[in-house]
Amino acid sequence: MATVKNYGDPQLEEKLKDQYFYNSDANPNFTKEVEKIGDTLAHMCFQCGTCTGSCPSAPRSSYRIRRFMRRAVMGLEMEALTDPDLWLCTTCYSCTDRCPRDLAPTDVIMAMRNLAFKLDIVPKNFLKTVQMIYTSGHGVPNNDANRAARTKLGLTADPPTTHMYPEFIEGIQKIMHHYDLKENADRILSEEGQ
Amino acid sequence: MAENMHTYAFFLGCIAPNRYPGCEASAIATSRKVGIELVPLKGGSCCPAPGAFGSIDLNVWYAMAARNVVLAEEMKTDIALICNGCYKSIYEVNKKLKENDELRDGVNEVLAEIDMEFKGSIDVWHLAELYYDPKICGVKKIADSVTRPLTGTKVAVHYGCHLMKPKKERHFGETDNPMWIEELVAALGAEPVQYRNKMQCCGAGGGVRGYDIVHSLDITNEKMINLQEVGADALTEVCPFCQLQYDRGQVEIKDKFGIDYGLPVLHFNEMLGLAQGMSPDELALDLHAVSCEPFLEKIL
Amino acid sequence: MADVAVIGAGVAGIQAALDIADHGIHVHLIEKSPSIGGHMAQLDKTFPTNDCSICILGPKMVSVARHPNVTIHTCTELESVRGEVGHFTIRIRRYPRYIDEKLCTSCGDCIAICPVEVYNSFDAGIGVRKAIYKPHLQSVPDIPVLDAGHCIECGLCYDVCGPDAILKVEEETQADIEVASIVVATGYGLFDPVKKAALGYHAIPDVITSLEFERMINAGGPTRGEVKRLSNGMRPESIVFVQCVGSRDITVDRPYCSGVCCMAAIKNAILIKEKYPDTGITICYIDIRAYGKGYEEYYERAKEMGIRFLRGIPGGVIMDDGGMTMQVEDTETADLETLRPDLVVLSVGMEPAPGTADLAERLGIPLEENGFIQPADQKLGPVLTIRPGIYVAGTATAPHDIPDCVTLGQAAAMQAYSDVVRRA
Repeated sequence: MATVKNYGDPQLEEKLKDQYFYNSDANPNFTKEVEKIGDTLAHMCFQCGTCTGSCPSAPRSSYRIRRFMRRAVMGLEMEALTDPDLWLCTTCYSCTDRCPRDLAPTDVIMAMRNLAFKLDIVPKNFLKTVQMIYTSGHGVPNNDANRAARTKLGLTADPPTTHMYPEFIEGIQKIMHHYDLKENADRILSEEGQ
Repeated sequence: MAENMHTYAFFLGCIAPNRYPGCEASAIATSRKVGIELVPLKGGSCCPAPGAFGSIDLNVWYAMAARNVVLAEEMKTDIALICNGCYKSIYEVNKKLKENDELRDGVNEVLAEIDMEFKGSIDVWHLAELYYDPKICGVKKIADSVTRPLTGTKVAVHYGCHLMKPKKERHFGETDNPMWIEELVAALGAEPVQYRNKMQCCGAGGGVRGYDIVHSLDITNEKMINLQEVGADALTEVCPFCQLQYDRGQVEIKDKFGIDYGLPVLHFNEMLGLAQGMSPDELALDLHAVSCEPFLEKIL
Repeated sequence: MADVAVIGAGVAGIQAALDIADHGIHVHLIEKSPSIGGHMAQLDKTFPTNDCSICILGPKMVSVARHPNVTIHTCTELESVRGEVGHFTIRIRRYPRYIDEKLCTSCGDCIAICPVEVYNSFDAGIGVRKAIYKPHLQSVPDIPVLDAGHCIECGLCYDVCGPDAILKVEEETQADIEVASIVVATGYGLFDPVKKAALGYHAIPDVITSLEFERMINAGGPTRGEVKRLSNGMRPESIVFVQCVGSRDITVDRPYCSGVCCMAAIKNAILIKEKYPDTGITICYIDIRAYGKGYEEYYERAKEMGIRFLRGIPGGVIMDDGGMTMQVEDTETADLETLRPDLVVLSVGMEPAPGTADLAERLGIPLEENGFIQPADQKLGPVLTIRPGIYVAGTATAPHDIPDCVTLGQAAAMQAYSDVVRRA
């Protein structure tokens, strides 16, 4: 059997171990939403498994991209969005390049992650990147050691990005406020005591 | 020469300027020698990270990437960049917004709040593809620019994912065994070596590095095993995020799995810099977590 | 009585020709290659009875060759068609064989002495032939053909030929033939798996196609029936079949099921098991389509023999030191597996034969969306075309197995015969 999940929620683990699908779990709108956000016709999937066969995450986890495609087709919203494996896709797009149905399983995962975020389901490292970019414009900001190294190379201590021109940060913040992204990130992190 | 320069707005992203400034310095210096002028894209930000931002809300990803594109539109200049992650955001969003009116209108609604508008007037390129493109530079020009050939070294190539995949959203063709970066490597005088499962991901993308570092490093470790088997002297790539994963990742692998590979990892720009005679100091190779010395010893 | 033309001499065309000829009508059987027989002559055994393919086709090939009412035109293609039902004039173009067919005694001395060896397309490229050659042992007509493209003009064959049957110079010729009706049975082509680069065909020597495998396990084939790894000549201990290569695949414009590959793979797996019982065999499939009489039972028999059916398609084939690995998910259990086969057989799908579009244009009949010839009515007129007097049989319209090809050949023959009778 596939690797055991050790994500700490016994009820969820039990649910995820179950190979059966239940109509009562299905939300037909979920399929439509995933298809719209992911811009791919997920319902065309015939479960050949070429995606899992191409996936670098599959051999080292219970993550099966094919199962997420199944959940997309069947509308199994909560089963998809609460599965911790949702976040193990490295977005390498190997499955997308090999899918004989011309689908983009990677973009199905991205769509599901977007929908999960709407339910506050999101790993905290994603939110920390949001906060970082909100503050500095960079997901990986400059630091003193690097400034020194840049100077030695004849580069400006801060790159000519939002670091050197912080007046551009306001525009970035406005975009994030438009989508309430910063507010939601702060709220979710504070609720988790971060 | 100067009148024939191809000028691009240089989109930096995060990891190159803020972790591996040698990638940035070498991009500027090496491209100038082959007729490409990189001018700063003032006020650029994180692309933003396609894994982190795309996973949370694709709409924010579109809008923030579009902002970076508009900065270059205002300069009336195509963008050149040196990171596959940035390529995914900037190239793909530029393409999608050009092709999809509904998407563009939505993004422009947001951009209007900051007095910007996406017009779709420029193109986005990875510097590596410009190096390979004979209309801009080409392999021969790269070879001609070499003053210190990397003779006697075996160099493996990591293409990364987001430059060429998904293939239907790109223009590179088949993604199963590309050889064009090997051609560029050979132009530097090094011997490109093939290894098992070359096109496999480095393991960093999609937010996995932050979400589950052991899982992420386990993928990297598989790549390292395959690289070690063919006796590569160095790994080259065209993505500072992949570079971070391989370079710092080797330290983390040593720490977590107890395996020490000691394989130098250099961005193709850094490697080209060396071949054009730049010194390791001019490339800040000392910032690499894995020492580049074993590789440098072979060529200096 | 007027004549009939049959274009293509595979099993469907041969059957059509025989049936028409048996009704006292003269048939011109026109075949592009140097021997009649088509793909069926290349296959080893046939499902679900494991009959030897050439053993059941060979007698038909000989019958049609000996039939007083049949003229076989090999190395010949259809050039153009004029006229209407009952009164067609077809122009055929005959390519030089460089052999005087009347003088040749089929002794084979020319072949033995020829110093040139090239890949034999009849053996799907895994065996060799000479520059002057017979495609295979049961070739009909049993006359060599000189391959001018590879001949080095050494002159050895001219000297060795007793009756001086080898022609140094021969030109292409054309001829016009009057016929009342035409049967098109031009068959199929095979999907080129190079288009699925992840599977490593041509990059990895031990990845072969199903047709190459048919030649390999055939006693008359290049390995005399021994299953071998092309990399090192060793017998493979484990073999993986990958189904639906170039079938049901939208990305390569082959959205349809090829219909025969499931059964062909099962058949080949059974043959391996009978020959080498220790061999581990896995068939990676999406759905097993065993729809004909006796097919399901055949599938069950394969399972009983220990052949493994794994529902899941591998992402690709990766070459390792001395071997191959394939990552595949058993989609019925979600278990991930790494297969390490010695030999990989790609079950390549059927596609329209090369040149089908040109031929259809010359005949004035349409193609369907996948490039096969469009019958007038898929259900109620499967051998009719929109042009009265022109009929279509076999895999020219869609993938079919052998029994269906024979049936369609017979159906088309009846239609073509009626046109002759109506005219007379």
